[in-house]
Amino acid sequence: MWFFKSVSKRNLMEFLLVTLFCLFFFMPLVNLVILAFSGEWQYPNKFPTSWSLEWWKFVLENDEVSRSIMLSFSIAIIVTILSIIICIPAAYAFARLQFPLRRTFLFSFLLTNAFPKMGLYVAIGVLFYQFGLMNTFTGIVLIHMVNTLMYMTWIPSAAFKNVHASQEEAARDAGASPFKVFWHVTLPMAAPGIIVASIFTFLSSLDEAQGTLLVGIPDYQTMPVVMYSIIADYPSTAGSVFSIILTLPTIILLLAARRFLGADAMANGFQMK
Amino acid sequence: MSKRKENLLGIAMVMPSFISLLILVIWPVMISIKESFMNGEGQFSFENYIYVFTEPMMLNNIKHTVVVTLISCIIVLFISYFIAIYLRFTSSKIANFIRKTYFIPMFVPGIIAIYGFINTYRDNGWIARLIGQENLPVLMYDIKGVVMMNMWFNIPFTTMLLVSALSAIPDSVIESAKDVGATKLKIFWKFIFPLSYKTMLVATTFLFMGIVGSFTAPFLVDSNAPQMLGVSMQQHFSVYHEFGQASSIAVIMFIMSAGIGYLYIHSMMKEEK
Repeated sequence: MWFFKSVSKRNLMEFLLVTLFCLFFFMPLVNLVILAFSGEWQYPNKFPTSWSLEWWKFVLENDEVSRSIMLSFSIAIIVTILSIIICIPAAYAFARLQFPLRRTFLFSFLLTNAFPKMGLYVAIGVLFYQFGLMNTFTGIVLIHMVNTLMYMTWIPSAAFKNVHASQEEAARDAGASPFKVFWHVTLPMAAPGIIVASIFTFLSSLDEAQGTLLVGIPDYQTMPVVMYSIIADYPSTAGSVFSIILTLPTIILLLAARRFLGADAMANGFQMK
Repeated sequence: MSKRKENLLGIAMVMPSFISLLILVIWPVMISIKESFMNGEGQFSFENYIYVFTEPMMLNNIKHTVVVTLISCIIVLFISYFIAIYLRFTSSKIANFIRKTYFIPMFVPGIIAIYGFINTYRDNGWIARLIGQENLPVLMYDIKGVVMMNMWFNIPFTTMLLVSALSAIPDSVIESAKDVGATKLKIFWKFIFPLSYKTMLVATTFLFMGIVGSFTAPFLVDSNAPQMLGVSMQQHFSVYHEFGQASSIAVIMFIMSAGIGYLYIHSMMKEEK
């Protein structure tokens, strides 16, 4: 009892909060990790009765799986690079220049979120069909970009806006050309926002399943597409192993980019004016 | 830089991004809207809309979508606000732990989160094994499951926006209010809430649009009837091959999202003045 007396009411509340937080957000993930390494886990045992790596072997030795991993990564890398090239100029213009219809252009990107994705994919499918883009690599890259245009334009734009114009002017006064100023002053200072947006782009491409299923059938089986069939056809142990493989890149990216991931870089992107 | 030059440069820089938007989003949206007003013979008609607004099954689906969306939005906003306030004014070890981990769910691929959720909460899942099946209410394949899934996906993002807004409130404002004897509740209503409600609107916009248009979570976790409109639209397209009806459902979802999108744009524009 001494323990409960020594903690104040506030501490107890805090303890409850963090317990609920962890249970709700992390229990489903922990469950997958346990499942992935379990050999036998019959109902109603609380934990697996035996452990095994059998499904790891199965998943890793499966050609289809390794091909889907390669495919997903190449698509995600291309989508990210293309999005950066296409969107960064617009992001800079929205932040720094005044031009006619600026607001209309800026807010038109909201349309990617306002129109239901599934409906959009179906209509894009109709277009792709006419242009022979069904079941092509290009088609998949394009459909993934639907999800990334808004993030890649808004978040970096907010980052550019937060670079003080005076710093650019100082560099220009010292005789640097506009391009040099952008490259050596503006870009490094806006880098955190651009990196956050790129990570989002990369992960949303890795994660995209609906559009890929629609335009990539039958030749382009990305990781999430394979995940759908594994869920349907294999025991949950196999699904869990594959889940971990699919989540691993995310965790590595998160750790690598940890210092850039502040709440502000993201939040500002959604409040562009 | 002359005004004319700035205008041209601005528009030129926006073009790559905007043209992508035009081709990948605006054009398909137009196709959907056009299709929604066409009958089976390709003539103009309101047939599809009459179907959606008179068929009892569709009316139930619309009602279900509105109910799920509103309940999810309210719960997510409430909990996120609570967590954000807690994080803003607490610097204990537990608060730091939550600060470092709360955004992880944003980066977990959707399909995997759902898979983990189903394995944890289904009637013979992990929780049923831990506490006994009879103690666990029906959560999966039920409205409760979808709402919980929406919470899992959206609380981190909403919390992130709110944390950023609350961190912009200077400590000095709150300290001086305390000095003149304002109660905690008063400080909240007079300072904290007015300074963060704008961000609440931003969060609500993206929450609402995301949930109204969602497909994967309701498809895998919700009951079979009534369905959310995203699932119903997909079925009308791929099971019944009714492109017109599917399009009209998409347009109705779009109109729901457009309402809140209008509020968002309106509030962004107003602030500038």
